[in-house]
Amino acid sequence: MSIWSTMLKNKQKKRKNDNVRQHNDPQKPEEQPIQRNYEDNVSRIKGELGNSTDLLFREYQIGDHKGTIVYVDGLANGQLINDFFNETLLNSGFNGNQDPFQFLIEKAAGLGNFQFATEWNQVFDSFLSGNTLFFLDGYNQAINVETKGWDKRSISEPSTQLSIGGPKDSFTETIRTNTALIRRRIKSPNLWLESMKLGTVAQTDIAIMYIKGIANEKIIGEVKERLNQINIDAVMAEGYIEQLFEDQTWTPFPTTHHSERPDVIASHLLEGRIAILVDGTPFVITVPAIFAQFFQAPDDYYARFDISTSLRILRILAFLIALMGPALYIAATTFHQEMIPTTLAIAIASQRENVPFPAFIEALIMEVTFEILREAGLRLPRAVGQAVSIVGALVIGQAAVQAGIVSPIMVIVVSITAIANFSTPTFMMAIAARLIRFAMMALATFLGLYGIVLGLMFMSIHLCALRSFGIPYMMPIAPFNAQNQQDIFIRYPIWAMKYRPKFISKGNLVRAGDNQKPMPPKQEDSQDSKGES
Amino acid sequence: MENAKIKASQMFVLVVLFEMGSSILVGLGGSARQDAWISILLGLAGGILVFFIYYRLFKYYPELPLTSYLQKITGKWIGRILALFYVVYFMYVATRVLRDFGELLTTTIYTATPLVVINSLMILTIIYGIHKGFEVIARIGELYFAIIYFMAISGMILVTGSGLIHFENIRPMLENGMKPVLRTFLKETLVFPFGEMIVFTMLLPYLNNPKKVKIACIGGMGLAGINIAITAIVNVAVLGPDLFVRSNFPLLTTIGKIQLANFIERLDVFFMLYLVIGGFFKITIFYYAAVIGAADLFKLKSHQKLNFPIGFVILLASLMIASNFAEHIEEGLNVVTIYLSWPFQIIIPLFLLVIAFFRNRKKQPKQQSNQQHNQQSSQS
Repeated sequence: MSIWSTMLKNKQKKRKNDNVRQHNDPQKPEEQPIQRNYEDNVSRIKGELGNSTDLLFREYQIGDHKGTIVYVDGLANGQLINDFFNETLLNSGFNGNQDPFQFLIEKAAGLGNFQFATEWNQVFDSFLSGNTLFFLDGYNQAINVETKGWDKRSISEPSTQLSIGGPKDSFTETIRTNTALIRRRIKSPNLWLESMKLGTVAQTDIAIMYIKGIANEKIIGEVKERLNQINIDAVMAEGYIEQLFEDQTWTPFPTTHHSERPDVIASHLLEGRIAILVDGTPFVITVPAIFAQFFQAPDDYYARFDISTSLRILRILAFLIALMGPALYIAATTFHQEMIPTTLAIAIASQRENVPFPAFIEALIMEVTFEILREAGLRLPRAVGQAVSIVGALVIGQAAVQAGIVSPIMVIVVSITAIANFSTPTFMMAIAARLIRFAMMALATFLGLYGIVLGLMFMSIHLCALRSFGIPYMMPIAPFNAQNQQDIFIRYPIWAMKYRPKFISKGNLVRAGDNQKPMPPKQEDSQDSKGES
Repeated sequence: MENAKIKASQMFVLVVLFEMGSSILVGLGGSARQDAWISILLGLAGGILVFFIYYRLFKYYPELPLTSYLQKITGKWIGRILALFYVVYFMYVATRVLRDFGELLTTTIYTATPLVVINSLMILTIIYGIHKGFEVIARIGELYFAIIYFMAISGMILVTGSGLIHFENIRPMLENGMKPVLRTFLKETLVFPFGEMIVFTMLLPYLNNPKKVKIACIGGMGLAGINIAITAIVNVAVLGPDLFVRSNFPLLTTIGKIQLANFIERLDVFFMLYLVIGGFFKITIFYYAAVIGAADLFKLKSHQKLNFPIGFVILLASLMIASNFAEHIEEGLNVVTIYLSWPFQIIIPLFLLVIAFFRNRKKQPKQQSNQQHNQQSSQS
């Protein structure tokens, strides 16, 4: 293991060196001012972008001064710019008394929020993110007007994290829409948003959101530091960032959480977590993440506590089945036949009579087949979906049994495992169970239940050693914390969840006031209580 | 010493798991027949008294583990030799527990699996745990404490529900007088498991609040002692004194008798579940104490380097210390208790306490500076 750590250290050193190199990169357009001659400017822009055809220039004249506007077709709102150009700029009514640049500013202000650009890197940044630039001959400044308006997907229902109750909107690929969706839920001035750009080439917009006073300052600092350390050409989706800034790479368990539901992200923010939004993906990351959190579904909070508690316990049970179902079957049939009631044992034995494989191979065939079907199902064109599902039902079903490859009970075990796996609310946690299941199956084959128990032991050591942004992953189960058990195995009634999780948030811990428990009105004092409210 | 801090509740849980570890599995106090529970409770009382020796020593040197303050109390060279003996002793006990554990599995469920496979997988898991550090061990302790209690309570309900408990088996109390009880107390229950708290002298400095040492450790011992005594009572009540004495693993036999609603029966595997968990913590703590003891003795900066070698030694020794199970048990009952447990758990600490008392009385005015010096040396 020490070899690993030294290798990692070397890597980090290298990374730092890379950082230094990046800053001295001579190719980048450094702090160069805009020229006064507008033709020079235009040719420079064209040269830098290699005459890209989506770059549009439209020329105009104010008095004696020629000028041009520059924008990227598709990024800027073309309709708006056209209308403005035709109606306002061409019929400018410039009388020659004014300073033409001042005149242009007044006109441009009508188009949108504007700034001045004096350096070349500002110029490129602005029109590549959808702004429009106004150049005027004889002036070494450009007016940078915000005209962002590209085609975007409208807000739709969540496609991967469904719920019965609660809101039905989900994030989109546009970061501004996503921040607005969160702000619409938390109308507090303490909801702070910080922006940055990641990706040396792609320059993707990143936003960090947290509630000042609830989120832990130390974790905010850590998040920013880790984000600043990221040095990569592009950040395509939330998965890039998750993999680049999680605490540990060598683990099947997710140590960051992402969701496409604004209500989930808002409630995470209210617990003191920090959200990281990435432009171009409908998933928002929150950190720190703890193990128990991956079993909390949004429905839990919209239903009454007894129902949601039982559902949550059901989900944990399903996770254990998904983890160990086939392994337990293998262990019971190969090592611990005495565990099975006699009649069932005889039934299993007679079913397995015609099966040529040992239980492990039998289970492996079925599990791998199912995993292939599932992976294929993700990518199936809609038109062939039905055909494949029929084939799938044949492969894991009666046909496989009749062909004498597997026993009927194996089909049942694999099906239960597969269905149980889908009941974990978070895909990343379910996939971890899927992966570990195979290790468990192998252990059960060699050592029966002892192997499974050792596997669980190994897994729990691993889980207890994991951290997410410094927070122990198994918090508040191990290390145990009695005060924070309100939302772990038992989901307390909302009025009893008085405090935010202490290990995540710092500062403002009180979530609900005293005496929130609903009561029926007292008969005698009903008049008084009405008066009070 | 590793740079770790654990809470008092975590220490408590570790003490309970450690004490209950393997002592619940074997028929502890079997030679006292149906009075086993009396000798267990006596052992608990004696163990708490012995723990006060360790506690006083800890009070003199709150920042140091046993292997360090041995050298302060008895001088550099004698102290080092004694510390080396202690390290070897911890390794030996870890070895014995590992062998117990492997033998149990190979004689009951895995009759066809070689001992080396079972032991090496166990030690691999433990090496992984120790690699992750003491804080992680304390955390898994909390996790499994809940699981063990859940199993114990449901086991009690099942045993009672199957109508197996016959209290007449426990009577007559003190059939043969106090003598066999006392002999069992001195030979068995005092040194196993309660005297084994000596290993915690290595771990007490990890506690974040030194004031809570007493409550965490003695509370843990008390809870574990009561649990072991209850187990002994249940075992005798279910099996009767004869079978209790004859059986190698009375609890396994007891669990095997559970039969409820024609469905819940043959729960032997749950015994095995407990066995793995209990064995894990007992071996881990002895093994960890040996590792940090050796690192402290040989002034290594990181104990991690010793993790794997010592684990390998423990694994090999567990296969070699006895040629068969009978020999292993015979050594455990008649050699280890008298020639190892008594000296290492009681006699040497007692001498240490006496010497430490006189040394520290002389140095009373200097104690402040002495403590500061200790702190510096422990930090470095």
